Amino acid sequence: MWWRSASFILDRQQEQNAAVPPNPESLLLSSPPPSMADSLQNPKPDISAYYQTRAAHHAVVTSDWLAQAHAAVSIQTDDDDSSVIDGKIAPAAGGRGGDKAFSVIDEFNSWRKQPDLAEAVAAIRALAAVIKASQATTMMELEIELKKASDSLKAWDTTSISLTAGCDLFIRYVTRTSALEYEDFNSARSRLIERAEKFGEISCKARRIIAMLCQDFIFDGCTILVHGFSRVVLEVLRTAAQNKKHFRVFCTEGRPDRTGLRLSNELAKLDVPVKLLIDSAVAYTMDEVDMVLVGADAIVESGGIINMMGTYQIALVSHSMNKPVYVAAESYKFARLYPLDQKDVGPALRTIDFGVPIPSKVEVEKSARDYTPPLYLTLLFTDLGVLTPSVVSDELIQLYL
Amino acid sequence: MPDTQALVNDFLNKLKKRKIEGSQATAKQTAELLRSVISQTRVPYTNQAAALIQSVKAVGERLIAANPVELAVGNVVRRVLHIIREEDLSLTAAAMAGVNLSAVSDDEDDADGDNQPVLSAAAIAAASRSTLRPPSLQTLLEDVPDFAAVPHTSSSGGDSEGKSKSADKSSRSRKLKHDVIEAVNELIQDISTCHEQIAEQAVEHIHQNEVILTLGSSRTVLEFLCAAKEKKRSFRVFVAEGAPRYQGHLLAKELVMRGLPTTLITDSAVFAMISRVNMVIVGAHAVMANGGVIAPVGLNMVALAAQKHAVPFVVLAGIHKLCPLYPHHPEVLLNELRSPSELLDFGEFSDCLDFGSGIGAPLLHVVNPTFDYVPPKLVSLFITDTGGHNPSYMYRLIADYYSADDLVLQRRATSGN
Repeated sequence: MWWRSASFILDRQQEQNAAVPPNPESLLLSSPPPSMADSLQNPKPDISAYYQTRAAHHAVVTSDWLAQAHAAVSIQTDDDDSSVIDGKIAPAAGGRGGDKAFSVIDEFNSWRKQPDLAEAVAAIRALAAVIKASQATTMMELEIELKKASDSLKAWDTTSISLTAGCDLFIRYVTRTSALEYEDFNSARSRLIERAEKFGEISCKARRIIAMLCQDFIFDGCTILVHGFSRVVLEVLRTAAQNKKHFRVFCTEGRPDRTGLRLSNELAKLDVPVKLLIDSAVAYTMDEVDMVLVGADAIVESGGIINMMGTYQIALVSHSMNKPVYVAAESYKFARLYPLDQKDVGPALRTIDFGVPIPSKVEVEKSARDYTPPLYLTLLFTDLGVLTPSVVSDELIQLYL
Repeated sequence: MPDTQALVNDFLNKLKKRKIEGSQATAKQTAELLRSVISQTRVPYTNQAAALIQSVKAVGERLIAANPVELAVGNVVRRVLHIIREEDLSLTAAAMAGVNLSAVSDDEDDADGDNQPVLSAAAIAAASRSTLRPPSLQTLLEDVPDFAAVPHTSSSGGDSEGKSKSADKSSRSRKLKHDVIEAVNELIQDISTCHEQIAEQAVEHIHQNEVILTLGSSRTVLEFLCAAKEKKRSFRVFVAEGAPRYQGHLLAKELVMRGLPTTLITDSAVFAMISRVNMVIVGAHAVMANGGVIAPVGLNMVALAAQKHAVPFVVLAGIHKLCPLYPHHPEVLLNELRSPSELLDFGEFSDCLDFGSGIGAPLLHVVNPTFDYVPPKLVSLFITDTGGHNPSYMYRLIADYYSADDLVLQRRATSGN
């Protein structure tokens, strides 16, 4: 049994020398690229925009993505279809909120295009743009305007929890601090804008802090199971690899948007031994796994997480096999939700490509995310520190009391 | 300061040779040593707190390295660092309340920059407090100085004010040192009275005619049981002997001397007897940040048995045993391996332990670990000097007692290799 030792790296090298394995890149290429472009071309209103962006940013999409993996090629394809989305949404939003609501959503969408920018950051930047454009002369006016803008943002994509969380966090910041600290409205305003613009840095810094905290938990010779693509998880693994830790990673495939392929690709670049699993092989491989590491779309008040579909079952399997489940997520993903069960979270729908036509009578489960109760989580790595799930509600209560 | 140096070396030797028995004694002596280090440290006019933190950290790192398994040392070092930060902060706040705003440049000076508008006193106080508090959602958007920069900004409090008189400053520096020593004295007091504080709560937990099980010997448990006895509770105690050191025998003897009906059982009989037990009360070596317990060997087994029969598993822990680390931390994974002579008689087994035979190593190996890890889900309740707490609440106590900047104390030492 080699999974407690670092010798698997040597084994692997020997194996590679013995028989030249097929190039992993070519493997990826040979798999039929999912028709992401098609699905984006005709967006249905009931499809979660949040998960569409995620798919566009994180999924292995086309062969040209592989050709220039570092460059954010998805921007170009995004631009074409986002105009369609905007065209669809704008009349609805414009009807209610008028000119301003339109601009905040526009702003948000343009921020969202950046693959490295989290959704909450985009929301906060969009709200900062509202402050900039605002004609308000008192704090109260500004707050009302912000509230309106954030409401229209939230209404634009009800499925995105981090959008809601980001809006809430910023509104809370505006109401709680600035009014107390400053006598002068203009200085308060400029301060708010400055803080919001710095928020992008905060989010990057948060990732680094999390990576530093988390890498202590990665010991030499361990096997880590990851699910889906998460920037934080990637940062954690990258930091650990840079610190010369010997570990290997099992990546789930992450159907249907194949986010796991992307992650395995990135890890292969870092020279981390990585193995790709189909989503249904999790229980089969769990005895080799030392820890499960996942990101989160949102951390809810119970201390549970909302994450990509499949996280719940991985957590269940690892719980029954007594493996720790770690969650790496930035603290602005804390959301004021208390889901009681899976269906309590509003479904975020997406298209699923089965490769073959599905008879119209057959129903398809299209939800993109599930809820993992705190019972199955061991620890949460956030920029606030390493937390047990019960700390989350404490933090949220402190902020929103 | 040659005399502190001698004291430190003496204590280091004791730690290395495992001369100090028990975490309470270790904690107390560490605190006393740090007190003398603080009183010997010559404090400059500026940056007094930073100087103190520096010297305490320097000594603390060596102490921790001397015996990384004794977590109480690290805990006390971190507590003292936290005390220095806190006292510095309260002094700064007090000074700020007295002087008018524009004359004082505050803690956040270097972080905020000069273009910032004048903040109100309350805001300054809040901001400076936020540097001490662990990071939270509230401060996420606020201008929190860089993670690494925190020690400098918070400790440089008030020293940049060139306007106040130097006489005022020197009195302040003396005041800071005085306050810190006062607070460390309080800490020492707390450590030495923690048994009584915990024992006071005994009547709330032990009821008439109950059967209590414990393993090995812990002074906290002894005092706890005796306190209940003194309050006229009549109950029976099962003592598992705690092999291989058999300290349970001593505990049983002590309990009988105090007039408590006691039953001695072997460690392996715990599961056989647990169905008759109403509560398991044990001591701990250290309590981790996630609510897990580093405990004398054998306690994991007891905890599992207790869980099987839904018997409450209560852990008594003085405040010096609270450790802000997580059990995956390498320091914590270290277990102490004691001498094999506790396990078996060398004379009888000397043939099996012959290093000269065959492959050069004996065929018989003896491993004698000292500690067990009990995961938080097996613990029903922690009783500390501040009351009873759920395992998931331990992080809160830890956030109160330690500042986040000090957690990395010996990471530097480990990454230095």
